[in-house]
Amino acid sequence: MDETPIGRLVFLLATAAAILGGAALVAVTAVTVISVIGRAFIPLGLGAIAGDVELVQAGILFAVCSFLPWCHLERGHALVAIVTDKFPVRVSALLEALWDMFMLVAAAFIAWRFWSGLVDKFGNHESTFILRIPIWIAYAAGLVGLAIFLIVALYCVVRSANNAVAHEPVKPLSGGGE
Amino acid sequence: MSNVELGLWSFPVLLGLIFLRMPIGLAMLIVGVVGNYLITKSWNPSLSIFKSLTYSTFSSYSLSVVPLFLLMGQFASLGGISKQLFDAAASWLGHRRGGVAMAAIGACAGFGAICGSSLATAATMGKIALPELRKHGYSGALATGTLAAGGTLGILIPPSVILVIFAILTELNIARLFMAAMVPGILAAVGYIIAIAITVRLRPNLAGQPYARVPYLERFRLLVSIWPVLLIFFLVIGGIYLGWFTPTEAAAIGAAGTAIIAFARGGLTRSALVDSLLQTAKSTAMIFLIILGAAALNNFLALSQLPQAAVAFVVEQGFNPWAVLVLMLVFYLILGCFMDSLSMILLTVPIFYPIVSTIDFGLAPAEFGLWFGILVLIVVEVGLITPPVGMNLFVINSMSKGTTLGQTYSGVLPFVISDVVRTTILVMFPAISLFLVQWLF
Repeated sequence: MDETPIGRLVFLLATAAAILGGAALVAVTAVTVISVIGRAFIPLGLGAIAGDVELVQAGILFAVCSFLPWCHLERGHALVAIVTDKFPVRVSALLEALWDMFMLVAAAFIAWRFWSGLVDKFGNHESTFILRIPIWIAYAAGLVGLAIFLIVALYCVVRSANNAVAHEPVKPLSGGGE
Repeated sequence: MSNVELGLWSFPVLLGLIFLRMPIGLAMLIVGVVGNYLITKSWNPSLSIFKSLTYSTFSSYSLSVVPLFLLMGQFASLGGISKQLFDAAASWLGHRRGGVAMAAIGACAGFGAICGSSLATAATMGKIALPELRKHGYSGALATGTLAAGGTLGILIPPSVILVIFAILTELNIARLFMAAMVPGILAAVGYIIAIAITVRLRPNLAGQPYARVPYLERFRLLVSIWPVLLIFFLVIGGIYLGWFTPTEAAAIGAAGTAIIAFARGGLTRSALVDSLLQTAKSTAMIFLIILGAAALNNFLALSQLPQAAVAFVVEQGFNPWAVLVLMLVFYLILGCFMDSLSMILLTVPIFYPIVSTIDFGLAPAEFGLWFGILVLIVVEVGLITPPVGMNLFVINSMSKGTTLGQTYSGVLPFVISDVVRTTILVMFPAISLFLVQWLF
């Protein structure tokens, strides 16, 4: 981990977002389980939680957006390193810096268009079918994670660019998979 | 350049970027957006699509099952379920020649029934089984090969994250796909055990000491002790099949169930919970970035009309159906040596599925989809254990000190052969995948 104040701050931001997103995922789990149990006991006067599907969708949206910064910071993306592993270390470090720049552009593009979608939904007062939650609120919740994603993406460009021009660059790691 | 040609050319470009180590989701997204520009001569369509595409992809109810299954797998790895599964499997298989390795496969199969991810299964069972294998004198090659292969049972035996994605891409019924995967998944475990039996007979020095034989009473007691695993499995899979729950609800129940077990056994400490959430966060974000990229890419491909052109081409040429199928499966096997399974599925199924769907294999269309799904699932999973890039190999190898990657490569070979034999059998006899579905539905 990067021990500079900025490095720590970015790490803290990304971790906090991921854990908050994880908490949302746990909440989604709880809402769904309670709803299923309620539905099973309809004869006893219980019932499913109204609008449970909408809550799940909003929760997952928030969670996924909040997970992106952590994945990017931890270099968790799926990628193919087999060819670049044969390259000299500095070349693959330069490539990593290049792709981090592309990721920054993509993160900015995604966040910008997401914001634009938010503005649309704010303007047309669209809301969910059952709970009547304004859609723009769900957008706003997602935007928090995407904004942190943008910060992390910027940080990662600096991190990998520094590595690429360093006296002895570190070889970039392989990525994740499922 | 015509639109179809643009669509066609996008693949070498995409693969070029991917092999230059660009994150796969990012590469798909960029090729999709730029391709869209080249066809429409304007950025506006992409600008407008991305106003809602990120939102609709990340808030999709059918995709919400993915993070929940991942969370379920993370919780399942806490609280000692893996140890109990191993003990139970060892009591039944451990006294045979190569029995400790067979027990590891049996335990992986059990864990796969409550975990939808391959890496999580390999990592969790590796922690328990690797020390046992080494303690009994098994060679590093066989030990790591066994666990890398056993890990794929996490995906092959339902629930399975990859099957969920396949079902969404092809609009097939998830419950039916899970049922179709059941018998092939069990066959996979049996095939791996046979592979071990043959390997230790050909090269006895690879195997170590077996366990002492366990009396039947004790065996059944240990089998009964894994009831929470069976309960969760039947609740999740049975619940989806019987229509009690949607897949998302089933995954939530599974996650809650494994969390309760972990909590009851004291495994759900604060730091373990945080670790589970962070791990889930990483895998979820990785998957959803690829899905978002694939959505952008498929938007462009649809615009280019490449899928229709490909279908028309194959129909017109009148290729031998089986040749087309085998070619596709071989293509997956080769690509799988370099790429992860999810990216492969998202990249290829939107093109391949329409093509094979038009070919007559003597099956009803719905049944054909299930059968093809199972075949694709198996061949992309082989990619996890084929050198040079097999994530399971790396994960397990890094857990086993003193075993070189080369030894792991050689140790996994019998299991790859077993996979190829099984795939061939399933291609020749679609009924193996389909009879359970026909019988149940």
